Amino acid sequence: MKKNFKPTPPRLATLLLRWYCAPHLAEEIEGDLQEEFEYQLKNNGRLHARLDYIRSVIGFLQPFAIQKKKSHSSNPFTMSMLRHYFICALRNVVRQKSFSAINIVGLALGMTCCLFIFLWAQDEKAVDNFHANGKKLYVLYQTTTSGEHVNGAYSTPYLLTYQTLNIKKREEAAAVGINELKSFVPEAEKMTSYATGYELPWGHSETFQVGEKKQKFDGSRAGKDFFMMLDYMIVAGDAKDALHDISSIAISRKMAGFFFSSPQEAIGKSIRYENKIDFVVNAVFENVSAQSSLSFDFLINWDSQMKQLEGASPYSLTIFQLTELADVNHVEKELNLFLQSRMDKNDPEKITVGLIPYGDRYLYSSFENGKPKEGRMIYVRIFTGVAIFILIIACINFMNLATARSIKRAKEVGVRKVVGSSRFNLIGQFFGESLLLSFIAILVSVILVQILLPLFNDLAGKKIDSPISLPSYWTALIALASFTGLIAGSYPALYLSTLKPARILKGAWRFANSAIWFRKSLVVFQFALSIALVIATIVVSNQTRFVQNTNLGYDRDNLVYLTLEGKLNPRYALFKERALKMPGIAMVDRSTEMPHAMGFVVDETDGLKNTNTGDDAIKWEGKENASVGFKPASVGFDFIKIMNLKVAEGRDFSKSFATDSADAFMVNEEAVKQMGMRNPIGKWISAWAKKGHIIGILKDYHTNTLREPIKPLIIDVKEYEYFGVVIVKLEAGKTKDGLASLETVCKEINPNYPFAFQFLDQEYDKLYRNEKIITKLTNIFAVLGIAISCLGLLGLVMFAAEQRTKEFGIRKVLGATVANIVNLLSKEFLMLIILSFLIAAPFAGYFMHQWLQGFAYKIELSWWIFALAGASALVIALLQFQFRQFNRQW
Amino acid sequence: MKRVYLGEFEELVLLIVAMLGDDAYGVKITHDIIQQTNRSVRLNQVHASLNRLEDKGMIISKVGDPTAERGGRRKRIFTITVFGQQTLKEMKEVRAHLWSLLPSALKIVAG
Repeated sequence: MKKNFKPTPPRLATLLLRWYCAPHLAEEIEGDLQEEFEYQLKNNGRLHARLDYIRSVIGFLQPFAIQKKKSHSSNPFTMSMLRHYFICALRNVVRQKSFSAINIVGLALGMTCCLFIFLWAQDEKAVDNFHANGKKLYVLYQTTTSGEHVNGAYSTPYLLTYQTLNIKKREEAAAVGINELKSFVPEAEKMTSYATGYELPWGHSETFQVGEKKQKFDGSRAGKDFFMMLDYMIVAGDAKDALHDISSIAISRKMAGFFFSSPQEAIGKSIRYENKIDFVVNAVFENVSAQSSLSFDFLINWDSQMKQLEGASPYSLTIFQLTELADVNHVEKELNLFLQSRMDKNDPEKITVGLIPYGDRYLYSSFENGKPKEGRMIYVRIFTGVAIFILIIACINFMNLATARSIKRAKEVGVRKVVGSSRFNLIGQFFGESLLLSFIAILVSVILVQILLPLFNDLAGKKIDSPISLPSYWTALIALASFTGLIAGSYPALYLSTLKPARILKGAWRFANSAIWFRKSLVVFQFALSIALVIATIVVSNQTRFVQNTNLGYDRDNLVYLTLEGKLNPRYALFKERALKMPGIAMVDRSTEMPHAMGFVVDETDGLKNTNTGDDAIKWEGKENASVGFKPASVGFDFIKIMNLKVAEGRDFSKSFATDSADAFMVNEEAVKQMGMRNPIGKWISAWAKKGHIIGILKDYHTNTLREPIKPLIIDVKEYEYFGVVIVKLEAGKTKDGLASLETVCKEINPNYPFAFQFLDQEYDKLYRNEKIITKLTNIFAVLGIAISCLGLLGLVMFAAEQRTKEFGIRKVLGATVANIVNLLSKEFLMLIILSFLIAAPFAGYFMHQWLQGFAYKIELSWWIFALAGASALVIALLQFQFRQFNRQW
Repeated sequence: MKRVYLGEFEELVLLIVAMLGDDAYGVKITHDIIQQTNRSVRLNQVHASLNRLEDKGMIISKVGDPTAERGGRRKRIFTITVFGQQTLKEMKEVRAHLWSLLPSALKIVAG
């Protein structure tokens, strides 16, 4: 029976067979396979026959059946030809040692730079992205609109948590439960809150005790589903009931190791918190890795936070786990509806919430118009850009040097063409050479990365492991090397291969004007990038120095903080008296805020309801619905003296006025200005339901980093406030004695707490960690950029010298000195550098201006910065130029 | 004389080639092995084996006639060489000799 459609073996498999099979076996094997196919078709059906055929074709992929390259083929890329190219490339590398070294060093530096930055960027992007159901996790942000002010933050509106800093309002505290929320937002599977203890500026570790062992640890509070949603590995206990009730605590392996013999041992044991509350350890989790933006050594149940602990950070996160198919926009709408139902309709302040993927929170760290905006992400982008630029600079070098050499290579090209090379062959050959060099370079940079990784980790504050064992790393390396090789080799390959053999061999060959212009513009581009990098370096490091050296308006030397905890507050007077008698201690005072980083602002649209209405609001004589964001602090009598603040008008707090502890306020000049007061001394002002009078005006001083402008400040004396810090001034040069004395006194007065302290100046410097890293990185980049560009210039000079040997010969015969010729050459190249400066300066100026916008107090972008960058590029280029020229034997 | 070793599978293929006479080519050999020994054998294994045997000089090949079921392609017909026959014979003798040396009890069990 004949069918219209006769089944045939799979076509692709046949093609594959024909492609690889040795010609003398092809007919036989194909025939056998065909016969077998017919046989299988008859006995086992079409599908089986086809599968069997494919299997056999793959099975024939064996040495005996595969076509050997040596077979009589007309393909020009035969093995021997490739070997010839390889040998030629190697000979070229070896013969021209200095060129090859410049190339390889330049490329390797650029690649190392790239690799480091990619490692860093990867690490940044990996933060918070290790959770298995990460795709379903979202974090809440709130947008607060009040008049013209729009603020955004990753904090949960008080309406959802009812979290309050005010002890008196504790009864009102309640959190929205997942069950309550589910009726509004059915897509929410789970939710958890998360907040650290005190946020900076108070931020301090909390004390734990088991038996006689006491230690401070940093930790947080979280909802009971926390461990069910986020992948923090549990080593002992159960994720489900890690935080199931008010007395639960989960601790890290480190903390378990400190108090107990093993993690298993810790389960069910009781642990004393701040000498007040006993918690039961329900779970031990693996130490939190550097790839988590949340870092904690213990977690306490959220209910416990609401009911029995002191105020936690107002910046509490709410993390949702949504169902697989949830539409985020829809969930946002539902959440907002829910929020509206709880909100006071007449409130002028409007709060809305939004969700962003949990893993994005770290990189989208800042807010614009109340919506999350790329914060750290910008740095990731900038540095990736810079890495690519540096690589491009290195590639340009390669192109320049390769073309410079091409004078010599041109004859080779001519001969090859005459012998019968096609253009295609030559392109292949040149690409092959550049790939060879770029692979050598990448090997060098892999070794460099391996060696420098610890240094880099130190510099960038990262814990990146060596990626040498990851297959993806090697894939990336090969991709990078191939990419670089192709880019770098493109110009010589495409240009040299077009040369006309007859003209080359006659010696009538010169570079066309367009080619020379192309190379010059490459150098201009290179130098423009380098000069821009230098400008950035100068600006960033100057700003950083400015920040560190600016007179903040107070004295930050020799000041030490102690956290006000345990018996330190009730026995403060005794502590002060004892401490002052000890050697090395000059002064003692206290403050509710760390003076170098006051973060708390009242009466501002921060979404914390209780700071701008009711008792906490700040009112003053003549206030009419004005809203002024005050930074409040309660301090001791000696605060002004210990900080060495200047009083502009009126007087300092003093014990000799009986009324000072109940009635006196001091404000700063900025406050007077913003309140619009005239003759402020003696006018009444009230804060925290305490009414008093202004006794003095402080000269403005910086209460936080220079990123923010000086804000109105209000201070009063309260030597009994239960939170804050004790500030101790040590005698200059007696730091060691002073600290020893402090420890003795602390052990005596406050025995239940371990002695811990911080230096104010060190804490202040920590606020500029990011700027410091950026300074270091830009320094390195600028040096690299300049170095690689100079290599490029060197190449160009060598090229020019070689091209014009005859011209210079004639000039010398006619009486020119070496200096004349050097000047002649210098002029041409100086023009290039000046041109690149003209291109770079406006760009760099614009970007640095943008960067400086992040600071309220900043350096001027004055002309000398640009002049310095341009001049240094010029001088460096000139120096190496001269050096190079005099080295030549003319 | 330089000894040439034969693998177990090679020996099998060689025997089948000898058995099939003028009709020994890839597919036929494969099917015969399957039939006679109940082993699952694939075409490519047989081809590899035939190649090795040819390299060792046990068999020679010539190109046969095209047939319709092969899509008009020619077969390669293998025939055993004298050297191949000799090797088979030697192997059989060695085995027979070894068998004769077995203790009698085992001989009964095995045979």
